[in-house]
Amino acid sequence: MAEPVAHDEHTATHRSHMPVYLGVWVALLVLTVVTYAVAKVHLPGAWAVAVALVIASLKGALVALFFMHLWDQRGANRLVFLTSLVFVALLIGLVIADNATRFPLANPPGSQGALPAEGAVREPPAANVEQRDRP
Amino acid sequence: MHASPLAHHFENLEKQAHAARLGMWLFLATEILLFTVLFAAYALYRFLFPEAFALSSRALETWVGFVNTVVLVTSSFTVATGLNFAARGDGRKTGLWFGISVLLAIVFLGFKAYEYSHHFHTGQLPGRFYTFEGVKAPGAPMYFTLYFLITGLHGIHVVIGMTVLVVIGVLARKGRYTAAYHVPVELGALYWHLVDLIWIFVFPLIYLI
Repeated sequence: MAEPVAHDEHTATHRSHMPVYLGVWVALLVLTVVTYAVAKVHLPGAWAVAVALVIASLKGALVALFFMHLWDQRGANRLVFLTSLVFVALLIGLVIADNATRFPLANPPGSQGALPAEGAVREPPAANVEQRDRP
Repeated sequence: MHASPLAHHFENLEKQAHAARLGMWLFLATEILLFTVLFAAYALYRFLFPEAFALSSRALETWVGFVNTVVLVTSSFTVATGLNFAARGDGRKTGLWFGISVLLAIVFLGFKAYEYSHHFHTGQLPGRFYTFEGVKAPGAPMYFTLYFLITGLHGIHVVIGMTVLVVIGVLARKGRYTAAYHVPVELGALYWHLVDLIWIFVFPLIYLI
């Protein structure tokens, strides 16, 4: 199992990567235009951020696999990279999960899901601030 | 003086190269987690203040972020090209392509400086320094706190990456590396690709809400 991997890595340094690099570069440019165009449409709700993150992950995968050569390098390097991604998911996932399941008063005032201050009428945030600034 | 690049505690160059790459990947993993802390803070406050984040993001000039993404992606390509020449033992071309990459990085920082000065003039600043008239909502100052933290840390990484590219580009030009041994070129390129990788996520999260 280890033998063919080591062999690939050895020959990889002697082969020109230019066609792959050019292809990845063009793909990255196209995906940049796509993500920009999709953002201009303003997809509803969570779709916008989901699509943006999927495209960004796709671009990131292209960079990591081909520019950074994880595609033709040893398992250990891939393992290190994937492990870091697991912790990225844990950290962001748990922080969001924590705040999404909190008692409303535990969230900062003015935020989504927080209760309005005592006796206050719930208004759109923008209007609230403008009132306060008036003399 | 041309000492062998092989350190005495390694059996051969190939094993030394593997160890160096693994060490670099471990370092890059810590870099990813460093940025993840900021992205987690971003995720939290975007979750708490979705309206303010969308409005603040639309107050930015999206085309600058777009152009900078194109510039950085292209610089990653030119660095990869430089590495390709290093693998063939053509140090002069490696120096040339790394030089082009550094110029692209300067363009990137130029656009960033233009943006920052715009933010300073319009009061799009973190925390209590926030005086921007365009978006008045709780959470907007937090957006700009995270904006400056994330793009600032990324900017520092761009400067470090440029320094690495300049040093390695000059050494490559001087013929320090060969087709058999060019691990420093490879590791410098890895660092630059990471800077690009981070920006690929910064662009949609900061500019495209």
